[in-house]
Amino acid sequence: MNISKIRTIMAEEGIVFSFSGMISQALTAFMLETAKNQLEEKGEDSKVIRNMCLISIEQLQNVMSYSKNKDTSNSNKYISPGVLVIGIDKKKNKYYVNSSNEIIYDDIEKVTKKIDFINSMNKDELRKHLREKLRSAEDLHDRGAGVGFIEMAKRSSEKIEYDFEHINGKVYFHIKTYI
Amino acid sequence: MENLIIKATQYTPAIDFNLETNILSITGKSYPENTFEYYKPIIFWIEEYLKNVKDEEILINLDLEYLNSSSLKAYFDMFDMLEEANSEGKHIKIKWIYDEDNDISEETGEDFIEDFKNLNIELVVKS
Repeated sequence: MNISKIRTIMAEEGIVFSFSGMISQALTAFMLETAKNQLEEKGEDSKVIRNMCLISIEQLQNVMSYSKNKDTSNSNKYISPGVLVIGIDKKKNKYYVNSSNEIIYDDIEKVTKKIDFINSMNKDELRKHLREKLRSAEDLHDRGAGVGFIEMAKRSSEKIEYDFEHINGKVYFHIKTYI
Repeated sequence: MENLIIKATQYTPAIDFNLETNILSITGKSYPENTFEYYKPIIFWIEEYLKNVKDEEILINLDLEYLNSSSLKAYFDMFDMLEEANSEGKHIKIKWIYDEDNDISEETGEDFIEDFKNLNIELVVKS
């Protein structure tokens, strides 16, 4: 293991925080506090920090709820393998939140449809769409209202970037949101 | 029926529902993973409370930072229930409290006002 390689990549990619492993609610809270403190120390705008936190919450809770290999043995407290990266895109000079987790094959179409539709909307439309979804509760499930992507899009300065990577019969979902 | 007091955690707010003062306050962050499970006893308490309360003025203080999307749904449903109680003659006033620089919370409050026209919701900037 060449640890200096990791340090070099992190510096090059402008990564301020990253984690790869089992993601839980306790860890989500811890990661958020850590990333938030780091941005505060850098003197970042409170609005940027708030958006970063809200987007990270939605991405991490998506990993927890939809990761293919989630551990659900402890009732409604899931622990799921995933990757989270928070960094600065040096060209755009913007923070981004990026995450990855394995998903089930059948989710590809559903997720694609959902994000493409959200990406077609402007901020006002997103605001309206969210309220309609909250009222209709059509995407409601026992762990959420099915509106996490809408929240991410509302907090983001760009369209949601995503793709699916197929490796040895497994499907990994990657999502990147710029603040 | 007893007062409902729940301490805040890193990701759930402090609950302080007081039967003597008829002031129900929720303060803090709300991004649990099992949001609906978390809010179930809180919603249940409010339901029971609304059955028992009569002409008293009810004040609900909501001072929430970091609402995840499922918490938004939980509050949407809570407002729905409160609006119904209001239309049945209860006197409910809601204060939606936020920091001056928290435009996200301000916008959320504005949306609730828009969606629940029969509820008395006031936006309050924290001093």
